[in-house]
Formats: sequence, structure tokens, C-alpha cells
Amino acid sequence: MPRFLLSLSFALLLTAARLTAAAVVQVHVTDAKQSSVADAVVSLIPLDAAPVFTPSTTPVVVAQQGQEFEPYVTVIVPGTRVNFPNQDNIRHQVYSLSKTKPFEIPLYGPGTEQSLLFERPGIVALGCNIHDWMAAYIVIVATPYYLKTATDGMARLVDLPPGRYRLEVWHPRLSGEANREVTIAAGDTAQQSITVILKPDRRIRRAPDGAGGGYK
Amino acid sequence: MIFRFLQFRRFSHRLFVLFVGLLGAALATTYFVVTSTNESNARENARANLELAARLVDSAIKQRIEFLVGSAKVMTGDYAFKQTFSDGDARTLSSALVSFTGRVGAPVITLYDPDGKLLANSDHAMDNENAGPFAFLIQQATEKDLTQHSGFSYLKGQLHVLVVVPFYAPYPNIFGWFGLAFPLDREFVGKISAISGVELTYVNVEDPDQPRVLATTLPVAGTAPTARAAAAAKRAREARELRPETEMVALPEERYVTLIRFQEMLAEDYIALVLQRPPTELASARDLENAIKLTSLLALAVATLLVLFIARSVSQPVVALVGHTQRIARGDYVVRNQDYRADELGRLSLAFDDMARGLAERDRVRDLLDKNVSPEVAAALLRDGAILGGQEREVTILFADLRGFTTLSEKLTPQELLTLLNRYLDRMSAAIEAHGGVIDKFIGDAIMALFGAPVAQADAADRALAAALAMEKALVQLNAELAAEGIAPLAIGVGVNTARVVAGNIGSARRLNYSVIGDGVNVASRLQSLTRTADYRTNVITSAATLAALREPTKFTARPLGTVPVKGRAEPVEIFAVE
Repeated sequence: MPRFLLSLSFALLLTAARLTAAAVVQVHVTDAKQSSVADAVVSLIPLDAAPVFTPSTTPVVVAQQGQEFEPYVTVIVPGTRVNFPNQDNIRHQVYSLSKTKPFEIPLYGPGTEQSLLFERPGIVALGCNIHDWMAAYIVIVATPYYLKTATDGMARLVDLPPGRYRLEVWHPRLSGEANREVTIAAGDTAQQSITVILKPDRRIRRAPDGAGGGYK
Repeated sequence: MIFRFLQFRRFSHRLFVLFVGLLGAALATTYFVVTSTNESNARENARANLELAARLVDSAIKQRIEFLVGSAKVMTGDYAFKQTFSDGDARTLSSALVSFTGRVGAPVITLYDPDGKLLANSDHAMDNENAGPFAFLIQQATEKDLTQHSGFSYLKGQLHVLVVVPFYAPYPNIFGWFGLAFPLDREFVGKISAISGVELTYVNVEDPDQPRVLATTLPVAGTAPTARAAAAAKRAREARELRPETEMVALPEERYVTLIRFQEMLAEDYIALVLQRPPTELASARDLENAIKLTSLLALAVATLLVLFIARSVSQPVVALVGHTQRIARGDYVVRNQDYRADELGRLSLAFDDMARGLAERDRVRDLLDKNVSPEVAAALLRDGAILGGQEREVTILFADLRGFTTLSEKLTPQELLTLLNRYLDRMSAAIEAHGGVIDKFIGDAIMALFGAPVAQADAADRALAAALAMEKALVQLNAELAAEGIAPLAIGVGVNTARVVAGNIGSARRLNYSVIGDGVNVASRLQSLTRTADYRTNVITSAATLAALREPTKFTARPLGTVPVKGRAEPVEIFAVE
């Protein structure tokens, strides 16, 4: 192959690679006081084409551990099955009155596990009817591009095809909505900072552990 | 001006006004101070009680709210209820709420979605319109991110306290709202009243012209004045007038201490909470006031009696003294005051009596003086004092002598003689004094009289001669009387001379006699003795000096008798018979 042809094809390849090269969006979520916000769900919903996502084949787990749901916020795509293993030595109930997925799992014992399939996108607030302080959220997003912010408030979304997206941020204490439209060029590493307004942290202070904790 | 009123005719009046007036003023001031202090204390006490009752109302409402909030939380915790709610079957929900009213004791329980839309209620009469205040509360709670909210409003025309409580699924996800309410009715105010002893009334004062009582513990008759008081208070509040903390409102039985508080309403105009208390605190104050009143009157009565007694004890001796003074002025010196007290009045009485004694003494002296010396001399003596010394002046001297007295004395007893002599002297003296003469002295049966001394007389000579003639005439009269008594007639000789003599008090330091001395006196005496000369055929002989001194010589007939020598005088004296 003549040298120039080689060069040409390499250049074309490069161009093709650049055209289809995945971009990166680094989102930083802060609150009104410019503090980093953890447990914020950041999702990018493609606007140019219908998003394609496949549910995880291995079940996602929201465990009952130390009379708390663990983790506090779980992000899944529709069609994902979530397991609720009871890892405590007491019984728990799980319910949600959310419109997305109203359900009740009656009291079930330690060591057992219940599972549910979440088919519709939306937010499902989980509660335990006998432990008022137990609360967790399952956020079902219809996009493969999502992530929960870490304690530094950062979510690094990778492998993003170029195009227009709606960047959505959700948090259990979010007041109002937080989203914006972003356009991502191929191979870009974009920085996005989003400031959200949070309601005061109103989680129920857990009652002193009377059921055995005192005898540990 | 006022001092004119304070000029009393009687000392007792002055004392009464001063004493009783001062005491009365002091008592009245005390009464006023005590009563006003009591009144303000009592009102302050009542106010404190009413404030306490007001706080009790606030506290009761707050507790009730807390209870309803707690109950609502428990109810929402019921999963069966959550499920019912989630299913959205309004009829089932409403029936569940009816069962809750029984559990909680709240007559009104309603359910709303997170936006405040009525979903179900325990009372079918509770329509959306009545649910409005709940929706308003929910909206406010959502805006302010409150976990519970409450307020005052009307439900079905009745005053209620409304409470909204979110229910969470799970916390803090607000899934809906509970709306609960309890009425502030007769039962509610009755309970507070039973604890606090304060009468409570809620009044709708939206239209101050038509205040409406919403709930009260007062009997019907008391509601109208209370409502009016609340309306007046609202007007004052809106006019930003300063109001006293408490006021007195006259209810049919009595005046109540009244405290008016205003309560904000959710959407409507505020209402008045009227707290009232019968003035039991004032009762003890009233008792004290009455006691003071009674004591004061008693003290005034006692003071009046005391004043009258003191005034009498002062004024009686004074009145007695006044009487005595008047009697003394009339010349009666014998009156004496009775008891001499130890005080000033006693000393005054004593001094007064001393004075009376002194006056009596003086009067006696003067009387004696009058008898012993002529009234003119006595007056002059009393006026000028007994001063030794004299002055030279022209005086007419009259000498009169009883002729043949020695023969007469041999025929009569001494007593008869003295009586006769005095009788004679009395007549002669009267004649002399009638003409302004002054008896200088009696020398046995002889009389020496002065004209123009000690008081100067311009017509002394005329007077002297007139007196001499009057003496003659008086003797004729006396002789006629004596003849009737079988006594021999008397005869006199009178000599009158006018001369410059020395007049004055003559005598020792202890005994004085006003008289005149000088040659002219001897001449007068000599003239008198000349009347014995039968050739002259006259009883009255005077000198040329006297005739010259006459102011009206034509009144007298003077017959010249020639001249006679007088002992001690170089010149003979020209004498005249006066007829």
C-alpha cells in the first residue's frame, strides 16, 4: 500500500474515530451554600434518539440492615428487579404509596429475601410501616446514562455518544426541579455544574435502640 | 375672700372648723389614698388572674392541637389506612375518618391531597367551601415547610381551631394532609372557666355595630354588655387608641374586671376573647374601705364632741369674763371668778380679778378723794398725778363763816351740833358747787372755796359773787327749816377777793392738799371778817379787784364801803358790799 494511502486511511480512521468517539460529562452538584451534594441522581436523557438500555441481569439489592435501608438511594432502569434481603434479626415490612409503584411486602423474617420488579420510570419512596425512620428511594430512569454523586458531589458519566441530552438531577430533598439541556460533542470532556435547592434535612431521628441494642 | 368666711363670731366655731376640718381632710386623704391603692391592687390582682386564664386558654388550645397532631400521626401509621388512602376510595376513607373521630375525640377530621384538595371527611355537611380554611393552612404549611400548622377559623359558622398534619409515606414524603378541628364552644370555655374561675366569651367583632357572641360562660343577660365592650375595644384598637389593660364592664349583677384579647383568624377578621372576673378581689378592698369610712366618721364624731368640749371649756370662762368686764364697766367690781384653772385662762381670770380689785380700789380712792377734795381737784389729781409744785394764776377766793357759832355750840349736844353744821356746810357747798366753785377746805364752820382753780374759769369773779348771793339765799331757806324745828336762825358772812396766787399741791410727800397760797387769800379772809362790822349792813363783802374782774358787772349791785387797811399790806383795800 502506497504510503500516502496508508496515511489517508489512517486519517479517515481517525476522523471516523473522532466522529463516533465517546464523550465524558463530569457533573458537579452543589447546594445553595456551594457544598457538594452526595446521593444526587444525575441522569442524561438522549433527546436525538430513543435511549436504549438493558436492565441489569444481576438483581440490584436494597438491604435492610441495622434497621435502615441500605443504600439510601438506588438508581435503576425500568425492568430491573430489586431484591430486599432482611439482614436484621427482626422482621420488616416494605411499602410504597408512590404512583410509580405502589406495593406492600408484608412483614417478613430475618434472613429471608423478597424481590420486586420495577417496570416504570419514576421515583419510588420506600418505607417500613413499623419503623418510621426507615426510608429509601429507588429512582427508575429511562436512560443508560445515570450515576449517583459521590460524597464529593461528582458524577462522571462516560461513553456518551455525542448529541443533545437533558441533564436531570434529582435528590430526596430537592426543592423544585433541576434539569438543563446539554449538547455533547464527540470526544469531549465536558464539565457541568448544577446548583440545586435542597429542603432542610428532615430525616426522623431514630429512636434509641431499645430492641436489644442496649444488651449488645 | 375665704378669710371673710373664716372670721368667726365664736371661738368654738373657729376651733371646730380648724380641728374637724383638718381631721376630716386628713381622713379623707387617707380614705382616698387607701381606696385608690386598694382598687388598683385589686384590679392588678384581677388582671393577673385574667392573664393567667388567658394563658390557660392558649395552653389548652395548644395542648389540644398537640393531641390532635399526635393522634393524626398515629392514625397515619396505620398501614390499613395508608392502603385505603392510596386506593382513593372516598366513601371508604370518609367512613374510616368517622371511626377516627371516635378514637381521637375530634369532631371534624378531613383528608386532603398534598395540594390541599379535599379527598374525604368525617362530616358529610363539610363541603369544599368549609374545607377552604384547611386548604389555606396546607398551602401555608407547604410554603413554609411546616410539619404541622393550625389556626382559628369558622367551620359551618362555628368558631373552630383547625389543625393540619401531613402524613408521610414514608417520612419526609408528604403524601397527604389530615385536617382536624375542634370547636371553641360553650363546652371548651366552660372547662377553662371551671379551672380558672374566670368568665370567658368569644365575640365576633367583625362588625362592631353588631358584635356576635360565639361562645360564653356568662348567663344570657351578661352577654350583651360584654359584646359591646369587645366591640368598643376593637374600635379603640383600630383607632390605635391606648386602652387600659383591664376595664370595668357593668354586667347585670355587678361590675366585672374585664380583659380583652384579640385572636387572629386565618382569613376572616380577628375575634375577641373577653375574660372577665367578678370583682371578688375588690370585696376585701371594699370591706377595708367601709371600715375606714366607719372609723373616719366615728373619729369625726368624737373629734366634734371633743372640740365642742374644748371650745366650751375655753369660751365659757371667756364669756364669763366678758360678762364680768361688762359689769365692771357699769361699776360693779364685786364679781369674782370662781375656779382658777392652771392654764392661761386661769391666769387671765386671776389677773382679771386683780384688775377688778385694783379698779375697785381706785374707785374707792376716787370716791374718798371726791368727798375729801372737790371733784375737779380729784379729777385733776387723777389725771396729772399728785405733783408737788404749783403755778401762779388769778383766782377768786371765797371765804364764808358761820356767825354766832360759838354761842350755838353751847346750846346743843356735840352730836346735834355736828349734824347742824354738816347740814349747813352741805347747803353752802351745794350753792358753791352749783356755780362752779371748788371747796378748798372746811375750817371748822368756815368754808374756803376757789373759783378759777384748778380749772381756769374766765368768769370766775362773776361765779364767786353769784355763789355768795346764792349762799345767802340758801341760808334763808335753811333758817326757815330750822325755825320749823325750833332752832335759832343762822347767819353768815362771805368775803370774796380776786388775786394772783400760787396754786398747787401743798403738803408733805405722804399727804397733799391742793390749795392756793398768797396775800389774796388773807385779803379774802379779812373781807369775810369785815362783814361782822354792823355799820356795813351786809353779809357779802368783796374787793375792787373782784369787781374789776367781773365780766358782767351790771348783774351785781356793789355799794362802796370805803377802804380798810389789811394786815401785811401797805395799801388799804377798797371794799364793796354786794347785794
